[in-house]
Formats: sequence, structure tokens, C-alpha cells
Amino acid sequence: MFLAFTLLTLGSALAMAFQKNVIVAGLFLVATFIGVSGLFILLSNPVSAALQIIVYAGAILVLLLFVIMMLNAHEEESPQDDLYLQRYIALGVGGLLLGGSLWFIKQSKLLQSVAERPIDQIAPTSLNEIGAEMLTRHIVSFEMIGLLLLVSMIGAITLVKKRL
Amino acid sequence: MIFSILSLTPELSWMLIKVLVCIGFLMLLAPPLTWVERRGSAMIQDRIGPNRAALFGKIKILGLAHVLADGLKFFFKEDLIPKDANRSLFWIAPALAFIPALLGFAVIPVGRSFQVEGVTYHLSLIDPNNGMGLLYPLAIGGLAVYGVLVAAWSSNNKWSILGGMRASAQMVSYELGLGLSVLALFVAVGGYDPHEVILDQVEHGWFLWRQPIGFLVFFVCQFAETNRLPFDFAEGESEIVAGFHTEFGSMKFGLMGLTEYIHIIVASALIVTLYLGGWSIPFNGDGDRWPVLVTVASFLVKLLFMCWVFVWVRWTLPRFRYDQLMYLGWRIMFPLSLLNLVLNAWWITR
Repeated sequence: MFLAFTLLTLGSALAMAFQKNVIVAGLFLVATFIGVSGLFILLSNPVSAALQIIVYAGAILVLLLFVIMMLNAHEEESPQDDLYLQRYIALGVGGLLLGGSLWFIKQSKLLQSVAERPIDQIAPTSLNEIGAEMLTRHIVSFEMIGLLLLVSMIGAITLVKKRL
Repeated sequence: MIFSILSLTPELSWMLIKVLVCIGFLMLLAPPLTWVERRGSAMIQDRIGPNRAALFGKIKILGLAHVLADGLKFFFKEDLIPKDANRSLFWIAPALAFIPALLGFAVIPVGRSFQVEGVTYHLSLIDPNNGMGLLYPLAIGGLAVYGVLVAAWSSNNKWSILGGMRASAQMVSYELGLGLSVLALFVAVGGYDPHEVILDQVEHGWFLWRQPIGFLVFFVCQFAETNRLPFDFAEGESEIVAGFHTEFGSMKFGLMGLTEYIHIIVASALIVTLYLGGWSIPFNGDGDRWPVLVTVASFLVKLLFMCWVFVWVRWTLPRFRYDQLMYLGWRIMFPLSLLNLVLNAWWITR
């Protein structure tokens, strides 16, 4: 199962990156999300799996594809001149991010304790637990995210509406 | 026995039976629903309705033979693909529409759980306490948009694109109200598993009475999600022909049509489970008193009634206009569902 979902995730992620057609690329991204949510289920976290599909596949990607279809960009334009410098910077930053996240995973105490726990002791996380965690231990970051979303919403409205 | 030949464990064979029965049920119920729709519309509009097709030229059975004839016609029609269509996407679009519609039924408990020789059997495809509960149909419902979007875009037809745009915008907008009204249910139950929701209703009464606003929002949003009249803007004969499935013919169209009816069945099943007490029998506090088959029958009666309501509404209410639909979704249904959530949250902390 793990192999199947991993292959689905990685394969469609690669296909998305190399696909010229924007809409097909978007659909591959959906397949990637489905693979990721399958991995979440294998990690006995069905809530995250469901939220992954509801939020990313069900809402964000639909809006994205919607906009792409609206603008009707069938074929991608060929770049006017290659920005070599940009390419190297992107490579460097990408490598840095990858190395950083690998280092973070390696030294994280929490993840190590999870890995050492026997597999049959892990019960599926329920929505109730996640809700309680969010409103007690992570209340500050939860409120911060809410505020950030509110601000971005106000920003979007002021950008679109000429006369308020 | 066949199970021992295939070396299936009891759990696996029980699962297999459940899958076969559920999918078979959905596939077998959808074609008669088209008949109900046509005869029902005729009844409501004081017409006779389809009554000519006959088995072997003799047996007419109230036009039921039309369903068979339609199915046969779909299979034998020429399968056309428009010249400028995106061929591969055009091929998988009906499947992308069909599969999520089928999958949604998996969490619905069709009867009470029972025990045989110490083993508990649940009458839903996905066992309770799996941690996903009612988030699952919401997630699957979110995926249903892709069938419409892909079908619309791959046909390379302006009517299709317009129909697909309308349908997807409407489905995404109404998902908000849908999610929030279900959230109010979670708050009232204190859990989010369909089994818990039903047991709670057995104990304290149907949510139809306990959360009428939530029911109203959920009900209306389900109509928008299934793209049914009064919100059927994915189609429109005088504006955009058949909308997102204009270019689809033969069995591809058949699959699209089947998808609509399966959506109706699944939506009805969700309404029954969440607001009409699921398999429970009304005016009767203890659900364990009745035999399992009676609870299944109770669920089926409610389900078929809700399917009929879908048909009934279609032939009774006039269509909305598209901007009215969006107004209703964002200015009325969304605030109503928020109000419902806040009211219920206040109610339990009282």
C-alpha cells in the first residue's frame, strides 16, 4: 500500500512538473494530493487525509483550474530569454530547503519518539483530539492563522473592488 | 463453499458481499429512477408519459421497458469524439464523474449493527470509528467537481466550458453551506461518525426537528451539489444546450446520466442519515428492539421517499437565474449556516 501511494504521489508530481498542458498538470496535482492523503491514512491520521482532499483537491485546485480555464491558456508561451542566473538561484534555494527539512526531520525528538513507538499502539487520530489540541496548546498560532486569512481576504476585496 | 475455495477470511468475504451489494444496489436503482423521473413528471404535469416501448412488442408494464431500451441504445450507438477534443481526458471524464458519485455511499449505515457469535457486523461499507466519519462524503463530494470540469474542458466546446464553469462555481460555493451545516451536527452530537449521529437521533429525536435551519441549508445545498433543478445551470437547452456533456454520446452520455441519478441516491442517503434518523424507526426509542431487516427496510423507505422528493421538486419549482443562485448561496445559505452553527454551539454550552 505504501509503495502504491508513494508511486502515485511521486509519479504524478513528476508528471505535473513536466506536463506542458496547464490543465492536465493541474489534474496530475490532484492525483498527487490523493496519493498524499492515502499516505496520511497509512500514518493512521484519517482526519488529515480527509482535510487534504476537502481543502486542497476539493477547493483550492478547483479554483485554480477554474481560473486557468477562464483565462483559457491552452499552450504555454515559450520563454523570451532564458534567465540562467534565476535558474541557478532556484536550484540553490531548492537544495537548501531540501537539506534543511531533512536535517530537521533527522534531529527532531518528537518524530524519533513516534518512530520508536510500536505500530499497533497508534490509534487513529480523531477530529475531537485535533480540535482540542488546536484550541489549547496551539491557540496562539491558530488565532494568528485566522487573522492572517482575514487580512488576506480584506486585501483581496480592496484589490478587486474599485469603489468600496 | 466458494469462500473457502478463494481462501477468504470471514471479514474479507463480508466486506466483499457488502461492496457487491452496495454497488449493485446503486447501479440497479439508478435506471428505475430515470423511469420514476419521467413518469413522475408526466403525473405532475397531467400527461401520460412514456408508455410505448414494449417487451417483445406486447408487454408494456407502464413504460418500464423504456429504461431497458435506453440502456440498449446507449450500448449500440456510435461512439463519437469531437475532432479538437483532448482525447485522453475526453475518455476518462465520464469515469471521473462516475466513480466519486459511487464512492460517496460507502459511509452510510443502511441498518443497525448486529452480532453473530460474538462478532459484530456493521451494515456500512466503512466500519465505524475509522476516524474519518462524515468528513469522507464531504471529501468525495469535493472530488465530484472534477468530472464536470474535465468533461467540460476536454470537449473543446464553448457551451461545454460555460456549463462546466457554472456547475463547478456553484458546487464549490454551496460546499461551504454544506460543510457548515454538517459541522453544526458534529457540535450537537459530540462526534462525527455516521453511526454516532444515528444513535444520537435514536435517543434524542431526529435532527430534522432539532436543527431545522441546518436541515434547510443542507437540503438546498444538496440540490446545488447534484446540479438538479431548481439549480441545474450546468445545462440549459435555450442557452448552452446540454452544458458540460453536450459533446458526449453513446455510453459516455449514459454514464453521465447514471451519475446524476447516483448523486441523487447518495444525497438522499446522506439526508436520511443526518436528518431523518437513518435506519431508526420513528416513535420508538430503542433501536435494538427491531430485527435488522426491519431497520434496513426503514432506511430504504426513507431513501426512496427522498429520491422522490428530488423528482418532485424538479417538476414543481421554476428555475432560478444564475446570479440569483449565487446570491442565494453566498448571501442567504452561507450566513444561515453560520447562524445555525453559532446557535447550536450556544445551545450546548448553555
